Amino acid sequence: MPADLVLERIGDDLIEFRVDSPSAARSLAQQLRDHEIGEDVVAGLARVTVRFHPRDAASISARIHDAVRTPKPDTQTIPVQHIDVHYGGDEGPDLRGICDTLGLSQQAFIDLHTSQTHTVEMMGFTPGFAYISGLPDGLEIPRLADPRPRVPTGSVGISAAFTGLYALAGPGGWPLIGRTQASLFSPERTQPFLLSPGQPVKFRSV
Amino acid sequence: MLRVLKPGLQSSLQGPPRFGARQYGIPYAGPADSVSMALANRLVGNQPSQTALEITYGGFSALVEADCAIAIAGANDQALVSGQTAPSHQTLHVKAGEEVQLPPVARGARTYLAIRSGFQADELFGSSSTYMPAGFGGVSGRALKDGDQLIPIGNGTSALTLETPAGLKPVFTHNFALRSTPSAEVVALSDAARETLFSESFTVGRQATRMGLPLTGHTLELETDGLMKSAPVFPGTIQCPASGDPIILLCDAQTTGGYPRIATIARCDRHVLGQIRPGDRVTLLERSPEDAAKALEQKEALLKTWLDTPQSGHAFQLY
Repeated sequence: MPADLVLERIGDDLIEFRVDSPSAARSLAQQLRDHEIGEDVVAGLARVTVRFHPRDAASISARIHDAVRTPKPDTQTIPVQHIDVHYGGDEGPDLRGICDTLGLSQQAFIDLHTSQTHTVEMMGFTPGFAYISGLPDGLEIPRLADPRPRVPTGSVGISAAFTGLYALAGPGGWPLIGRTQASLFSPERTQPFLLSPGQPVKFRSV
Repeated sequence: MLRVLKPGLQSSLQGPPRFGARQYGIPYAGPADSVSMALANRLVGNQPSQTALEITYGGFSALVEADCAIAIAGANDQALVSGQTAPSHQTLHVKAGEEVQLPPVARGARTYLAIRSGFQADELFGSSSTYMPAGFGGVSGRALKDGDQLIPIGNGTSALTLETPAGLKPVFTHNFALRSTPSAEVVALSDAARETLFSESFTVGRQATRMGLPLTGHTLELETDGLMKSAPVFPGTIQCPASGDPIILLCDAQTTGGYPRIATIARCDRHVLGQIRPGDRVTLLERSPEDAAKALEQKEALLKTWLDTPQSGHAFQLY
């Protein structure tokens, strides 16, 4: 954990600190949840924010410091989730353009994307939208200048060095490389989401 | 039991916020104005967050299909029961065959109709609240349509007739002054823009929804490119995209966002956001977190005098 954790009050009921990686944000957020700190703990890509009742303002900083100082052993190992993706074509309309930009053949890009074990760094923005790391450094793909008003469920996009999975249809600005038929979100299931933060992911081309 | 005849612009069932699932990208949802919903529930002997009907801009009607005790609170200051005026903020004992109408409202935005024991609704992550963008909670995750049947969880009748104490009946105008604190990226604003944010009056834009209220009239100058790594946002967060037109996030706010977070509406005034409509004027009053917390303590103490009951476990609080 960062020894120099600096807490910043960003509302009467919000306090947050910066971390240097999504995985640090995720694990420290879980640590705070395990210690039942505040009312809610949310990880961003580089920040962890704690929502608390302002009546607890006097003690919240000390409780956060204590909780990150005494981590609970991380006993939970999340199994790898395999996700079948149909790359390119109508389902991945931006793959060709991305490959042209990168100077890669589509097959070379697919090989690169399927050879890595990726990690779900954060779920957010909309229900179940997964930010997944694992693309090699240097593949800095910009977002679309004009977001699409509607991106279909199961769409797979990339932006900067992240793969994004759209669990729900909706507007989206990430260039799309393919689509999966996997049921990423189903309110009827006991576990509505297929993925969870921290989970390893392998993509397969179908 | 009620059958919807006219749903109005947008009506949905709302219950407690869906706390604890933001790490999966699940917004809180729940009532846009939690105080008005709690007041309506109080009049029929329910807990503050029991599932009630949220009606936007009035223009709603329903047929009573079985005798029940209902109450309304929020933007509508009166209802019509079979054409006769019936006051808000009072228990109404309505009979099978009667029609309950909420006329269009001129001020405020949302009215809550509570029924004794609460309405039956779909649940996800421990909450019945409808989140329409993803289609869960409430009635099949959607806004109500004509013909929808709304059934109370238990016996919908009550022998008690209660009235909200006069000092607790909110009055809405077209001008809102909201206490707020600077947030993490307020430094992204130029000095002039920061001064504007906390002193000028903004006009609420047309795209006012349960997700957010766009503020127009004063474009704020950002000293950064306006892009950052996605960070947590909450109801009450004020974001400033590169366009310079700030957005106040409401109950259906997404869980993370990549725009500078320039301010946060203080918890004491967050419930008011649900009553602001397009064209209304909003002024942000800058407060320190400590002063905002004091204002919250005072408002909660006042509301608790009426809303804390044995049924609610004496646990009413604002969020």
